[in-house]
Amino acid sequence: MEPTLTGPDTAPMGASSTTVAAEEGMPPVRKAESKSPTRIALIRLRQDKVAMTCAVIAAIYVLIAIFAPLLAKLEGQSPTAYHMDMIDPFGYPTIGTTSDHWFGIEPRLGRDLFARWVYGARPSLIVGATATVITTIIGIVIGLVAGFVGGWVDRVLSWFIDLVLSLPYLLFAIATSALLVQAFGGAEGAPPETVARVRFISLIMVLSFFGWASLARLIRGQVLSLREREFIAAARVLGVPTRRVLFRELLPNLVAPIVISTSLALPAYIVAEAGLTVLGVGLVEPTPSWGVTISSATNYYRADPLYLWLPVLGITILVLALSLLGDAVRDAFDPRTRR
Amino acid sequence: MLLYILRRILIAISVVAVTLIASFALFYVAPTDPAGVLCGERCTPARYEEIRRSLNLDEPLPSQVGNYFKGLVVGRTYESGGTTVECEAPCLGYSYLLGQPVTKLFAQAIPVTFSLVLGGAIVYVSVGLLAGVFAARRRGTLFDRVTVGVSLILNSIPYFIVALIISLYATFLPPTQYTKLFENPAMWASGLLAAWLCLGLANAASYTRYSRGSMIESLGEDFVRTARAKGLTERKVVYGHGLRAALTPVASILGVDLAYQLTNTVFTETIFGLPGVGLMTLRAFFTFDLPVLMGGVLVGSIALVTMNLIVDVLYTVLDPRVRLS
Repeated sequence: MEPTLTGPDTAPMGASSTTVAAEEGMPPVRKAESKSPTRIALIRLRQDKVAMTCAVIAAIYVLIAIFAPLLAKLEGQSPTAYHMDMIDPFGYPTIGTTSDHWFGIEPRLGRDLFARWVYGARPSLIVGATATVITTIIGIVIGLVAGFVGGWVDRVLSWFIDLVLSLPYLLFAIATSALLVQAFGGAEGAPPETVARVRFISLIMVLSFFGWASLARLIRGQVLSLREREFIAAARVLGVPTRRVLFRELLPNLVAPIVISTSLALPAYIVAEAGLTVLGVGLVEPTPSWGVTISSATNYYRADPLYLWLPVLGITILVLALSLLGDAVRDAFDPRTRR
Repeated sequence: MLLYILRRILIAISVVAVTLIASFALFYVAPTDPAGVLCGERCTPARYEEIRRSLNLDEPLPSQVGNYFKGLVVGRTYESGGTTVECEAPCLGYSYLLGQPVTKLFAQAIPVTFSLVLGGAIVYVSVGLLAGVFAARRRGTLFDRVTVGVSLILNSIPYFIVALIISLYATFLPPTQYTKLFENPAMWASGLLAAWLCLGLANAASYTRYSRGSMIESLGEDFVRTARAKGLTERKVVYGHGLRAALTPVASILGVDLAYQLTNTVFTETIFGLPGVGLMTLRAFFTFDLPVLMGGVLVGSIALVTMNLIVDVLYTVLDPRVRLS
């Protein structure tokens, strides 16, 4: 499944541009530089200063997440080591920002805040990216099948899509998390590492379960109109197998909606991950995560503002950059704004 | 029209029914052990069996389902610690942890959520409309561009961050608490003010954009030119003719948003400590109180489906161009 899905991004783009030209009734002009819609969109994106700034910021976050161990080693601290000697009897740290602890230490347990901050970028990005990939693949497959096969398959799938979209997402997320945590043995009494791992997996599952439906609906609608076009009819007359028609003929024409929805979904999942974690439904200790830090830092926001504001700023800037980038991607790919 | 409404009601009922069956199946058939959770750490086998019996977990599955549906329609009784508890007609189960019927718990929580969502809506609709109309009339000026830019950025900041920061730092606002409206209206309003402002300001950004776009469109219509041509004052043109036409799309978005917010106030309720549907469900998550969790999901589904139905029907009334099929 994977290679077929990633393949059309590169290989059959030329085919897609000729079909677009053919659809608009223009003679197939074959100059040396015929640009595919995706190429045009990427060129427009590259000229967008806001988009490029946001992309750089997002790339920095990815680098921080990848090189978190290195950064922590550079500082000489670990995200899990306790420094109880620097905690006064009331639980407050006796030091501020020092050359040993660049962002200071946590109240109560005295763990290093810089190390926890750089490691905290990891769960956000991993959960967000995994949920995005899973929902995109499920959404594409369900949407393609529902739109292309039609008949009772379409009716069943559409009904299911409508059902998922009409569920109260957050309440269901809370309830299913409870269930998954119980079912996977993450209940009380289990060792903290197991609980943390179970929570991690169940969070991704919950986000994935509720995320695929809107993309599936979008793809289904597009496929419904595309499958009546001549190039699909031609492919079928030529006896091209259905799978090839789906992934080689249809999918390249769906690149724009897929890219748009993916780029808007990523920040949404990162927000959802952090939000559910702050509520206590998502990730838990000992995972170093911004959401976990925020929820414990609210008790110390006056005494130790840095403790609260570092993860808050971390998540806000990341989400802001990704959302603005997503908006720019949408503008670049939207055929209505094509110049 | 009647046929359309009937069909929509049927679809709505089917969604609620499927939600009910699915959540029932998930909660009671899934490999979880609700009796064990209730029993706690020091659990004797006798106590465990008693809890299993009181949850009806020892009965075969069809009879469990039957009992649940019977409870929904005519009510049922529960045994709790030797006493019998009457659970009246729409009985969603009985919370052994809280010692109360679930329906009663939610009957207390729903007004809180409603007050929160409606008060917030008043704030964001009025702020959003004012700013949107203002920006639309000065389209292209600095004010317009700043408004659009600020609303774009505000919209991208995660809501729970905004709520958290407001709840922590806006201490000049009256402390948040819930008082019943009919007990003391002044206390009700002042206790909810901070949460209203939070919900309102965070959502005002998108309403500014909606109403600005809608207003620009309607100000470009022929009837606005006609209104100007016949010599109406600018105020009458903008508010009497332009705004009136611009309200329809905003109103339809508002309906969808209200439906969404009724089931998504978990963050506001948790951060401000308001005992609404969201906070109750979240607490049930921590205690693994299955009947309450199920009740929360069900109440949310019903609210969402009902609101969507009302919005769809109202939309056909508001906008005569929408034809029913």
